[in-house]
Amino acid sequence: MTSDFLSIYPAKLMEYGLGVTYLLLFIPMWRYVQGGRRQSAEQAIRGRRDAERWPAVAVAAPWPSLGWFQVPAGVALHPGHTWARVEADGTVAVGVDDFAQRLVSPTRIELPRAGALVSQGESAVALGDGTWSVPLVSPVNGTVVAVNRAVADDPSLLKDAYGTGWLFKVKAPRLEADQRQLLHAQAARHFLDGEAEALAMRASPEVGQVLQDGGQPVDGLARALAGDAGWEALAREFFHTEKGTP
Amino acid sequence: MASSTAAALSGSPSFFREKVLLGMGWGEYLRSLLTPWNAVAAVILVVGLPLLAYRFAAGLGATTALTQAYPWGIWIGFDMMTGIVLAAGGFTIGASVQLLGLKDYHGIERSAILTAFLGYLMAVFGLLADLGRPWNIVQAMFNYGSASPLFEVAWCVMCYTTVLLLEFTVPFFEWLGWRRLHAILKKMLIALTVLSVIFSTMHQAALGSLFLLAPTKLHPLWYSPFIFIFFFISAIMAGISMAIIESTISHRVFARQLAGKHVDVDGLVVGLGKAGAVVAFAYFFIKLQGVIDGHAWAHLATGWGALFLLETVGLVLVPSLLFAYGARNKNPQAVKIAAVMTVCGIILNRLNVSVIAFNWTNPIRYVPSWMEVWVSITLVTLGVVAFRWIVNRMPIIREDSAFPQGH
Repeated sequence: MTSDFLSIYPAKLMEYGLGVTYLLLFIPMWRYVQGGRRQSAEQAIRGRRDAERWPAVAVAAPWPSLGWFQVPAGVALHPGHTWARVEADGTVAVGVDDFAQRLVSPTRIELPRAGALVSQGESAVALGDGTWSVPLVSPVNGTVVAVNRAVADDPSLLKDAYGTGWLFKVKAPRLEADQRQLLHAQAARHFLDGEAEALAMRASPEVGQVLQDGGQPVDGLARALAGDAGWEALAREFFHTEKGTP
Repeated sequence: MASSTAAALSGSPSFFREKVLLGMGWGEYLRSLLTPWNAVAAVILVVGLPLLAYRFAAGLGATTALTQAYPWGIWIGFDMMTGIVLAAGGFTIGASVQLLGLKDYHGIERSAILTAFLGYLMAVFGLLADLGRPWNIVQAMFNYGSASPLFEVAWCVMCYTTVLLLEFTVPFFEWLGWRRLHAILKKMLIALTVLSVIFSTMHQAALGSLFLLAPTKLHPLWYSPFIFIFFFISAIMAGISMAIIESTISHRVFARQLAGKHVDVDGLVVGLGKAGAVVAFAYFFIKLQGVIDGHAWAHLATGWGALFLLETVGLVLVPSLLFAYGARNKNPQAVKIAAVMTVCGIILNRLNVSVIAFNWTNPIRYVPSWMEVWVSITLVTLGVVAFRWIVNRMPIIREDSAFPQGH
């Protein structure tokens, strides 16, 4: 019986047969691993998490924060001071946070083109005055589908940083992965409080933040602290876009 | 910057205290070492290190059960063959992140590279212990036996260990605060990853090619003219499985370092499970192809066949299906169990090829001496202790706040 298998032709036949069997079995295996139900399962997970982290009410009352800078519910912050919010149509609105707009108080805003690709953590927009401009990073990966021309024409709209001051909207295919790098709710508020403290230490290193009596930082704070020549470097430091970083 | 830190390293006690003693005084630091696991490690090392010294003083005959008929024991089969294949996570994850652009796996890349680096170091130590005249190993570098698999293994392991060392210097320089060197190495990382894939491909396969020299000594179920392909594909499978096991354990043991940072280890594990399912599935069929090609069907009905089926069906095909189940149903627990089974299967495979089913016709069987076993356990323990020492100090799992872009 074994001598049959010692013959080369049956062995070759079995080898080819096994090769074809493998390829045929690989198709259902691949489909199973990729999962027919996976799509819906992922959407369910995404939907559930979205509901937890990105509440449906896009613009809600700000969190009660003791700090200077506000972040509303439903908005996730990137540590580079940009925010992301899932809109009703599934796109993600992106803007700069309250801290960034008050730090720079720009007279000029550079926006990406519609159709441009933006990457999380890489420069996407820039705020500036006549002389300098400071880049800010995108909080998510994706393709720009809409750009807020109104805010580019009238930078004062940026004062409503989370409302009329949105900058662009993206189609974000990897939102689930992107949002893990972002700060939500309480964490976002703590982050802004920490940044406010760091800024206050710049203003008066010995005492820190002492404006409990309701004082507010002035707009264009970076220029007030570091002067016309140095504000750009200061802003870049807070936005994590220092020169020389990749 | 570099010179000032170097001065701090040699002169200032605060650097030593902060970076090495984790901010504690000597007394406090030594007290912090008194834990049950450290006691176990200490017992292993206290016996094992003198055993290693004894092996070099008294020779292989006094410490091992090796004979002229069985010149390769578990120091080759386990420390070298298995150690190298289980360290394949370094190039698997490195290539996924740096070359394939799967940035989600960035969070486990450094620990995979560190595991690989320590794994290779321990394998090299094991090899030195096994060589009768270890000082002659330098000859492998200067005798250009370019047709010899052993020559290829020697060069590639040497080069790859160097590449791993260079990859490891990125977190190492962050720890020391040497910005200039760190920036240079960071830029080299992609080139180093390319090198790591080349060297790994070559020597993981060449370790299998070694057995092409011994077609009659290795049992027909394991011998195949394509054994180098088996070795390479199983190395990828081992790399994926080890990354799953190692990242799960690390993120649990060192959870403190990640306080406040959300790392979705389960998500990564499920993603790796998908890759594990496909690779293990392919590997199973390639192994079957080897059986057909070697006309070895008849041996499947013997005791050797049972061992072979345990290895290929029980510990390759079954975990492959379990990986698939876990990946599909987003069940990280199933993926982790499959990873452990796969690693057991690969350990069994390497032991089968190099020790158990090698010299299978020899009536006298090799059984390792207790000293060989103890030294092997000692090397594994050394690797684990070194891993923990480094992770507790250097930015392997956590990020270094001074290098925010570093991770």
